[in-house]
Amino acid sequence: MKIYSCCGNDSIAKKYNCAVCGKSEFEEKEVSDDGTVYSFTKIHIAPAEFAHIAPYNVVLVDLDEANAKVTSRMEEDVAIGDKVTLDRIEEGAYIYKKAS
Amino acid sequence: MTGAYVHGIGMTKFGKLESSLKELLLEACTEALNDAGRPKIDAVYVGNFMGGSISNQEILGAIVANDLGLGYIPSTKVEGACASGGIALRQGLLGIMSGEYDTVLVAGAEKMKHAETADVTQAINAAMDTTTTEKNAGLTFPGFFGVLANRYFHETDATKEHLARVALKNRQNGVNNPLAQFPKPTTLEEIMAARMITDPLGLFDCSPMTDGAAAVVISRKKSPIHVRASSQVSGPTKMQDAVNLLSIPAIGESGRLAYEKAGLGPEDIDVVEIHDCFSMTEIIAIEELSFYKPLEGWKAIEEGRTQVNGEKPVNTSGGLLSRGHPIGATGIAQVYQLVRQLRGNAANQVDGMPRIALAQNLGGTGSYSTVHILERV
Repeated sequence: MKIYSCCGNDSIAKKYNCAVCGKSEFEEKEVSDDGTVYSFTKIHIAPAEFAHIAPYNVVLVDLDEANAKVTSRMEEDVAIGDKVTLDRIEEGAYIYKKAS
Repeated sequence: MTGAYVHGIGMTKFGKLESSLKELLLEACTEALNDAGRPKIDAVYVGNFMGGSISNQEILGAIVANDLGLGYIPSTKVEGACASGGIALRQGLLGIMSGEYDTVLVAGAEKMKHAETADVTQAINAAMDTTTTEKNAGLTFPGFFGVLANRYFHETDATKEHLARVALKNRQNGVNNPLAQFPKPTTLEEIMAARMITDPLGLFDCSPMTDGAAAVVISRKKSPIHVRASSQVSGPTKMQDAVNLLSIPAIGESGRLAYEKAGLGPEDIDVVEIHDCFSMTEIIAIEELSFYKPLEGWKAIEEGRTQVNGEKPVNTSGGLLSRGHPIGATGIAQVYQLVRQLRGNAANQVDGMPRIALAQNLGGTGSYSTVHILERV
């Protein structure tokens, strides 16, 4: 997973400018996809474009090697604190799975 | 101090209504104009979110000016997701504060019940940053607050029952409000057993789809209700970028600014309408507005402190959960309820004639927040 950092803030998404110093150049580093479940929900009522896969889990993953989180989708049910890893990227979404 | 005063208020019944978006808007505006004694209006602001996507209807500002015969005056539609109404009110106030206008009509309206739930959920998702991996993962607004609630449960001793107590309080208030969407009483058991929307949020934890409109006339001419402060803040647009998931900085910062502008603190507020789009959001908002400490809002709920007869009455109208949530109208409907509280003729009137009232209106998952503080003078 690529991380963009500036002024102590890490993010998986690059912004145009850093909110602290205003610079547009971010430090880029590659970190492990592995993480820990920070929180989650199971979505039963989905918008039209996702209705065919409902119910599905949306999981906020705290990356182990960065001070950043990534919102992912998971097929398995999880609990806070579970170890997870990236399974695949599908239609622009991070699909995670439980770490074996 | 804005130096602007509330002269008239109007609101339609909220619920599933036959009237069109335009008819709802004109009904609420007419009531507010009559309540204000039909003053000359210098400008119109309309809060609306999905008129274009769901009803194929824009130019709402011009429709109000034209159909109500207000003359060749400026009119503007304001979009700020679920805070469209609050932002419209603030734009009207700024127009008065700048000296450009004397008297402004501000309205909010939404028509949602004619559309399918999946299509409305899709349209509401336009209030996310739709270019992100987060949106592609299938996150929704109730989903965001479900994720937040599970983490809140993890870090506190709060449980689903505390969410249910918020929903129950607001339903009990809504039952006494003839304009509210849900007139039927419920029980803690029914709320706890209701079908899941986004775990742990069940049906009663989520604000409904609603048709409705509300309007307010504000003016630099004096009236018994002064708008003591108006503030607005934008915050993070993505869940994964939240520094602290259990804080919504837009709410906290808009509250802090409003208190500062008003020269007041949370202890001075007698009655509150806050943006309970979900039961969880009400708990976060009472913390962010400093009525209660961070991670302790659930205790205030448990102790009944935010009930109509409690120390800090929150959502005496029934809130979004029971009054209903016609998106663009919500920020104005909050002000409608608070003006009635300050006039002494509200549904669930608070004892002892409240003097200071606060409205907080949220857009997105913290993309926008407005706070308005009203004062009986």
